[in-house]
Amino acid sequence: MRPIAEQLGQLTRLEELAGQNSPIHRLHPGAKLAATGVYLLCVLSLGRLQFGRLAPYLLYPVVVLSLAEVPLGLVLRRAALALPFCAFAGLSNLLLERQVLLWLGPVPVTVGLASCGVLLLRALLCVSAVLALAAVTPFGQLTGQLRRMRMPSFCVALLEMLYRYLGLLAGQAGSMLTAYRLRGGSGTGLPVGHMGSFIGQLLLRSTARAQRVYQAMECRGGFTGGSAAQKRPFTRNDWLYLAAVCLPCLAARAVDLPLLLGRLFVC
Amino acid sequence: MLKLEHLTAAYPDGTKPVQDVSLCVEDGQRVALIGANGAGKTSLILSLVGVLPADGAVTVDGLTLCPENLPALRRKIGVVFQDPDDQLFMPTVLEDVAFGLENQGLPAERARQKAQAALDSLNIGALAGRTPLKLSGGEKRMAALATVLALEPTLLALDEPTAFLDPRARRTLIHCLNGLDTAMLIATHDLAFAAQVCPRAVLLREGRVFADGPCRELLYDPALMEACGVEAIGADG
Repeated sequence: MRPIAEQLGQLTRLEELAGQNSPIHRLHPGAKLAATGVYLLCVLSLGRLQFGRLAPYLLYPVVVLSLAEVPLGLVLRRAALALPFCAFAGLSNLLLERQVLLWLGPVPVTVGLASCGVLLLRALLCVSAVLALAAVTPFGQLTGQLRRMRMPSFCVALLEMLYRYLGLLAGQAGSMLTAYRLRGGSGTGLPVGHMGSFIGQLLLRSTARAQRVYQAMECRGGFTGGSAAQKRPFTRNDWLYLAAVCLPCLAARAVDLPLLLGRLFVC
Repeated sequence: MLKLEHLTAAYPDGTKPVQDVSLCVEDGQRVALIGANGAGKTSLILSLVGVLPADGAVTVDGLTLCPENLPALRRKIGVVFQDPDDQLFMPTVLEDVAFGLENQGLPAERARQKAQAALDSLNIGALAGRTPLKLSGGEKRMAALATVLALEPTLLALDEPTAFLDPRARRTLIHCLNGLDTAMLIATHDLAFAAQVCPRAVLLREGRVFADGPCRELLYDPALMEACGVEAIGADG
């Protein structure tokens, strides 16, 4: 149960952090959402071998999280969970692209190795940026902003329910696993032989719960896609934040800053 | 104000959890639905709002249950589900309470104000910005009640409201319910709770009304309660 409970704890930990009152937290959710969007676009649009050009983008999550007084380690640990999936995708690059790109002393760096590295770093940066956004903006404000940005209402409602449902599902899985272990005696994880019935039961129960949640929604008028998120106009600070994030991001996208700095020092 | 006439509800597999139930609940009256597990209490509540298909007539303030009247009827009957986790599905408590209000067409800001007022009326205003995931059982129960109270229903239908509550949260709930002047239909097998909140009890057995009368008479009658599969108050000594 421990890992599931921990994951559940981390889900709510981010929600708690999002409720803090730092200068970053007080910014308009639209400003934070737009800044994150620009950052993601810049990072994702870089070439698959431009490892060095990703370096300036490391600053964004570090600075934002520091200003927001959110532990960087917590966000990085959660972001690192995405890396194995990307590593799996990058594995094919390693195997298929064996041309040597450069030599680091006696060690050859192949195209596959470089592109795999870029993929991993890019994933780490993107997931960190999204988690940073989640840690500095309450989820309700984010979804409210998405609605105001004309995102289809059912998509936002799905996001909201998925978020809530994940917590319930984790809690349910945790309880079932504890009950299993108390009778299982092994004290270790769930054996593969029992995994099928466990997951089947979990799905059946979660389906029943989904049905009850739907009934509860129906009793209160179904879902017409409203939101109680508060509207407020952009302030000077919001514009400043947007400029402070977007301009450096776009500059780092347009110009190879590390190369430029390197030349300055070499000359 | 609530009138049930020969109500019979059936599940798709043919099981009939509610059979030929007829009863009336007057304005402001509080009625406890008492019965053992499987007696049909929850099914009766679900059939009031059309969640469970039923034959017979359900009328609230002259409005009869039929597909055309369903939205209006659901505005009049506020159902609080047995498990508050089923009822609280939005990211924050305030949004959850505002959910039904916005579905009624209230502007977001007005819905938000009314939602906050509903939370304040139950002394849980401080929970507004919290995620339901992190609430205690008692807080969840009160928040679920607020989601329905905000809609100002004419009848509150509560399904096992004391389930999962510790004695203190239970006392708080009793205090809150006793402070409301809304009519209530409360499905429970917590007889002490029923006696403290409801002057009238309807005993259900196998989906049918077995007895209907004042709580102080029915709930203290060991033979009657035994016949319903429930222990009378004081029966355990």
